[in-house]
Amino acid sequence: MRTRTSLLGLAFVSPALALLFAFFLMPVVLTTVFAFTNMSTSTGITGGSHVITGNLLRDLGNAGVDDDIVAALSEGSFSVTPETLAAAAEAGVEPRFLGEIESSLMGQSFEDARSFESALKALPSRPTRIRDLKLATEPFERSILNTRYSSRAAMETAIASMVPDAPVDTVSAIAEASYTGWRWIDGGNFQTLLDRPETIRIVLNTVFYVAATLAFNVFVGLFLAITTFYLPKTGAGFFSVLWLLPRITPVVLYAVMWKWFTWDNGFLYVIAEQLGLPAFNYMKGSVPTAWATIILVNGFVGASFGMILFSGALRAIPVQQLWASEVDGASRWQQIRRIILPQLRWPILFVTSYQTLSLLSSYEQIWLTTNGGPGSTTTVWALEAFNTALNNYTGNLEYGMGAAMALILVAVGLILSILYLRMFRFDELVNKPRIEF
Amino acid sequence: MTRNFSAWPIYALLGILSAPLAIMYLFLVIDTFTNAPPGSLIPNEFTFHHWRFLWDPTVTGDVWGPTLTTFLFATSMVVIVLAISSTAGYAISRLNLPFRRFFLSGIMVMHAFPSVTLIIGVFLVLQYAGLYNTLIGVILVKASLMLPFGVWIMKGFYDQVPWEIEMAGVQDGASRFTVWRRLILPQVTPGLLSLGIFAFIDGWSEFMLPRILAPSANFQVLSTYLNVVSDPNSTTYNFNLFKSVGLYYTLPILVLFVVFQNRLMNIFGGGTKG
Repeated sequence: MRTRTSLLGLAFVSPALALLFAFFLMPVVLTTVFAFTNMSTSTGITGGSHVITGNLLRDLGNAGVDDDIVAALSEGSFSVTPETLAAAAEAGVEPRFLGEIESSLMGQSFEDARSFESALKALPSRPTRIRDLKLATEPFERSILNTRYSSRAAMETAIASMVPDAPVDTVSAIAEASYTGWRWIDGGNFQTLLDRPETIRIVLNTVFYVAATLAFNVFVGLFLAITTFYLPKTGAGFFSVLWLLPRITPVVLYAVMWKWFTWDNGFLYVIAEQLGLPAFNYMKGSVPTAWATIILVNGFVGASFGMILFSGALRAIPVQQLWASEVDGASRWQQIRRIILPQLRWPILFVTSYQTLSLLSSYEQIWLTTNGGPGSTTTVWALEAFNTALNNYTGNLEYGMGAAMALILVAVGLILSILYLRMFRFDELVNKPRIEF
Repeated sequence: MTRNFSAWPIYALLGILSAPLAIMYLFLVIDTFTNAPPGSLIPNEFTFHHWRFLWDPTVTGDVWGPTLTTFLFATSMVVIVLAISSTAGYAISRLNLPFRRFFLSGIMVMHAFPSVTLIIGVFLVLQYAGLYNTLIGVILVKASLMLPFGVWIMKGFYDQVPWEIEMAGVQDGASRFTVWRRLILPQVTPGLLSLGIFAFIDGWSEFMLPRILAPSANFQVLSTYLNVVSDPNSTTYNFNLFKSVGLYYTLPILVLFVVFQNRLMNIFGGGTKG
């Protein structure tokens, strides 16, 4: 049967496509592209311009550029040209004085301020105050230092006019080095990551965090689902609502509650004090308690996910199987071990794989509680990427480096989610439309 | 089933396991109305003092502006997510599209894909689009990130509607659009309601996106407001006050949750939080 494209269908999906394109596809593309650049706050995110700064000159000198060229570039000179005259007129230099400068000094250049000033002093209508005279010289100063040029060619021309005898390749090298925008650095970010000693620590932290939280989520989720399955309705209802609360509580309030629980003079602190146990800020005071805190903070949110899915799967088990086993004298433990757990295999696999992915990329709770501390002992990969790119206090946000770190997560996320789709039988979910227009 | 076991050991185990949660939520409510002497947890005084931030802006700053913004934020989320998911979900459930399979698997991948890893890319997109530090930008991003989930849920609801209804409509001469609008949409109202409530709760709770994508904007939502207010490193920190602001902020969600608990349970299974 021939199938026709439904125009209504196209109209119906296009808004979704547009938004998904803008906020899913584009971010993936940008993350990928900028992972190979050194983009940061100081380079800006659009283009840059070409500027020679004092620091750059020092670096150039150290890098073996001829000292004469460096010296020539660092000096300013004074010249009377139509452009500088116009600049002076704009700066408010008296017109009669300007006219005299134009007629007697046009086209001349002066090495330094002193010689230019003495030439000006010879003019009849010069300002009487020496300060005004100095001000009048300023627009005529031509210096390449700290002047912005919008293109590389303009920068090269400017360098060549300052240092006419410099070799062409030196000029272009200086112009290249003077670029302030971001540039391609190929795999530079990844190389830096490999070279950094912290990287291995962060990876180990991430593995530990994901494994421990996952174990908590799955085991507690299973335990909750099975116990609430056997308990009478009221008791079961109370516990499942209690465990659902963290899931719907806004994360900021949830973090505040955990802070109260673990902070100085908080709940655990007061209890420990009264029992004579060591009382301190458990969230930030020591490494083991900080780990325990973030695993529990995330675990108490995540366990309900397993609980919901496992409870659903439990109710789907034909109750006759349980009755039959009871007739045969099975204990509750035998029921769980031989009947329930084997039938929960797929839900357990699903929860494990789904939560691996979401734990790998989540950092919201860690950020709001320990924030990777004390030191960087509880910093995980996603948090580090976020801090590098968007949230550090030194003020220079390294977008390129952060994008490189995020790219690794994006790649892992994509591969795992496609893998899960294959595993959990995607084909059965697609059925063909039955009305063909 | 017979009760061939005693329930109390299970209650005890569950109680121990749930104790931190029970304590935290119990004291969340108690502490907002009471004071306890220093070094103790048992309150000895009833007071409304911690709720004075509602009428006294000198305590934590104006709370009504952020409340209004949060409401606007959550409502816009609901409108955008419902409008786009209900149409796109119908299209991929029932209509002939080129690359329909591809689109469907794309939605699935995006649904499973952890969208927080995209935050750096999203930040750059908003910078280039000039929507950085604007409420509209944050709403668009939040709604878009929720779309794969919304479209997926709505597709599920459309799949349950019998084809016969649609065929009868088409037989009687209605266009596909009329059929969708007059016959199918009323069938999926429960889905729209659940998704709408879920989107509202999600928008109301959102913290990361406003904090990161609009850090110096001239608006505040309640989550960022609470985060600024509740800094335990400040010299005058007072958890009772923090909890009062927090409880005020969370109350609408708790009400929605209690009222619509059963509807939400169906949807949480495919939830977005880990």
